[in-house]
Amino acid sequence: MLGEFEYLLITAAATLGDNAYGASIREEIETATGRKCSIGALYTTIDRLEKKGLVKTWMGEATTERGGRAKRMLQVTPKGVESAKAFYEVVMRMSRGASWVES
Amino acid sequence: MTHAVRFLLELVSRRLEPDEREAVLGDLSEDGASDLRSVIEITWLVVRRHAALWQDWRPWLAALAVALPASFLLMGVSFSISCTFQRLMGGPQSSVTHAATAHEDSLMLLCQVMLLLLWSWAVGFVVGCLSRRTLWASCVLSAFPCAYCLTKFHETSLTRLCLLLFVPPAIAGIYRSVRTNEINQKTSVALLITATVLMFGAWVNGALWAPNWMLILPVSFTVLLAWRPDLWRASSN
Repeated sequence: MLGEFEYLLITAAATLGDNAYGASIREEIETATGRKCSIGALYTTIDRLEKKGLVKTWMGEATTERGGRAKRMLQVTPKGVESAKAFYEVVMRMSRGASWVES
Repeated sequence: MTHAVRFLLELVSRRLEPDEREAVLGDLSEDGASDLRSVIEITWLVVRRHAALWQDWRPWLAALAVALPASFLLMGVSFSISCTFQRLMGGPQSSVTHAATAHEDSLMLLCQVMLLLLWSWAVGFVVGCLSRRTLWASCVLSAFPCAYCLTKFHETSLTRLCLLLFVPPAIAGIYRSVRTNEINQKTSVALLITATVLMFGAWVNGALWAPNWMLILPVSFTVLLAWRPDLWRASSN
């Protein structure tokens, strides 16, 4: 099963769609969680997910706002979608009856 | 301060693969991160990347099972060669003596020198092939026994550096593995046969310490590397 941060990353990438790359995913996660997301955690998790076949990455185009440096683009694979869906369903099932869940 | 931090940033980011360096520096630039923050972030990424390498068994094998024990054995061989050479040159008697004629000593010296070259080169090559990215750790681990023995060395008729005769051929083996971590099958078999013949020759003449038989293992490993390179090399190597 996916880890918490892996789920956040996959969900952020799926939400961003064609605009999913390192910096945008990081910003998405930081906005949602209210916590800083380190580059180290982000890129090592991306590698791990890619090895598991849950995402695929490629180098995108460079832009001037990035100092002429290319982006590492990300796309969630069908297997990644299934894994994220399974994680979400487990969390929903576990959370039924919890006091903080509004009925 | 700014120049120093920029220099540090350049230095640290070079530890990343080119594509990753490009992407990470671009992300940090887009975020508007300061140079110091960038240094911290990239350093943490480099540390995590390096820690992940040690989840594989190859770096442990290279460092603990090959480099560390081989250092001890090869220092012993280096010392033995130095004593034999000194005896041939008619130097003061050392604490290690063999009753042999000058002719036999010369042959044994030649045999030991060839074995030292073969063993050291094979150890360097194998350590480099098994885990190129953690080579620095294997070298540091090899340096500890060397440093220890150098401090304990009390033979006044010989220089301490005689313990380090194995270092240049080992470096040559490492260099070869870094340049191209492949070895020709015929070459590896020839190395193994030569080493075995020389070792038997030395053994029969009482010039081979029993534990030194372990040094045939890295030479044998070059044969395995030549035949099935995919089995032994990590994808992240």
